[in-house]
Amino acid sequence: MNISKRTKSVLGSILLPVVLIILWQYIFSAGYIASAILPSPHQVIKTFIIHFTENEYSFHIISSLKRVLSGFFIGIVSGFLFGLFIGLSRTAEKIFSPSFNAVRQISIIGWIPLIVMWFGVNEFPRIIIIAAAAFYPIALNTFAGVRNVPREYVELASVYGYNRLKLITRIILPSALPSIATGITLALGMSWAMLMAAELFIPTNIGIGTRIQIGREKFNMALILVGIITVGSLGFAMTSIVEIIAHAADRGRILRKEI
Amino acid sequence: MDIIVAKDVRKKFKLKHGQQVKNNGIISNEIDALGGFDLNIKKGEFLVLVGPSGSGKSVFLDIVGGLSAPTSGVVYLDNKPVDAPSEKTGYVFQQYALFPWRTALSNIEFGLESRGVVKEERIKIARELLSLFGLSDFEDRYPYQLSGGMQQRVAIARALATKPEVLLMDEPFAALDAQTREILQNELIRIWEGTDTTVIFVTHSIDEAVFLADRVAVVTARPGKIKEIIEIDLPRPRNGDIRSSSEFAANRHKVWGALKAEVNKAQQEWKLAPGFTD
Repeated sequence: MNISKRTKSVLGSILLPVVLIILWQYIFSAGYIASAILPSPHQVIKTFIIHFTENEYSFHIISSLKRVLSGFFIGIVSGFLFGLFIGLSRTAEKIFSPSFNAVRQISIIGWIPLIVMWFGVNEFPRIIIIAAAAFYPIALNTFAGVRNVPREYVELASVYGYNRLKLITRIILPSALPSIATGITLALGMSWAMLMAAELFIPTNIGIGTRIQIGREKFNMALILVGIITVGSLGFAMTSIVEIIAHAADRGRILRKEI
Repeated sequence: MDIIVAKDVRKKFKLKHGQQVKNNGIISNEIDALGGFDLNIKKGEFLVLVGPSGSGKSVFLDIVGGLSAPTSGVVYLDNKPVDAPSEKTGYVFQQYALFPWRTALSNIEFGLESRGVVKEERIKIARELLSLFGLSDFEDRYPYQLSGGMQQRVAIARALATKPEVLLMDEPFAALDAQTREILQNELIRIWEGTDTTVIFVTHSIDEAVFLADRVAVVTARPGKIKEIIEIDLPRPRNGDIRSSSEFAANRHKVWGALKAEVNKAQQEWKLAPGFTD
């Protein structure tokens, strides 16, 4: 991708937010809507700056980031191993897959009361539900990637006498990588989505979600919007970073376009 | 001396649930791919298998390569029954099957890696092969950066890297356009004529068979067995010009004569078996 193409793509992606902000400011300036219902972009930016300078907003952001990343890493490592396991072994698939697919239908939010009763109101259950949210997409995509390795690749490994371990490391994993990468990107999105549930439903004093909660209690719309925009931007930034790293490392162009 | 001896090789496949096929008027859920395949292949010869679709040519290749076991009968490679893939065989697939995460050079190294060949030696062998196929400038390219013809050259180079005694080629040029196909046939024959490798080559193209082969084995419609073996009496070394000679046309005529009835028979059978799709 050359510079002008990249610039075009960046401009394209910020076009809609800019139009929405202009429209938002216009609605506000025209007096169509009370600022208690919808604050102006100006108010939101002011609240954002005040939060950073006076209310240690960065501390809350870092706490939420730690929470998301801990859950995400636990989720992708365990989900990857599980997906690999049921992908490699037909017996394991028969034993685990039906139960896994049944449990998968239950929203993770539904588990929160049970998890809180078991583990109490603390950081552990928050990380667990984020990890669970990351677990599903990575497990499913790793499984699919392992199962869809072209037959010829496996036959070649067999022609050249590769043992099982080498078959896995040299053929199956590289071949499954595009699917695994899709799983990682999806898992990251799910982790960010679940962060809000973790912070709103398992009460705490620190984190971006708690700022949203305080905004609601104090009827401070600007603060709620600051929280929402922060989560959206951070989630978007992290997904973009993962994609950029993946594409830079992917010199053989094995990753599908959509990730 | 015969390097490969196939004795009464039979292979049955169970069809998927709900599929059935007519064998001599009897409806069955099994399909006889090979029905008593006998074939002796001489060391260093280029043998081409032609036959109608579904006549079990590829199945036979898989059995010789140790990728699939016969239902009955046996294939000997150097007097030993084949029961697993052997270090002596190399394989080239129709769809190249290059690893997209490896460069051309690294793809060629693949077969050598499991043989304990050290890195410098692997690179040396791979570079020699790339140069043989005129691809020296492309060693760092990934498969997506290569044309179909280049990809198949790399795949053949990968198969040749381990210096196999027997090279199994399953319709390797079928996915290429006609011009590229002829160029690759010329290259393959030029390179093969400089080796003592035995080649078993499967194709649907009679021209390709006649141009490449020492002998063309015509396989019957399913269940596949050898119908006739035709010696191709064209001189070697061969080059592209031979295709327009009258000797070439005569050989072509002989092969088509043996094949025609089988192709017609196979087409009749597909018509009679609506429950089975290829």
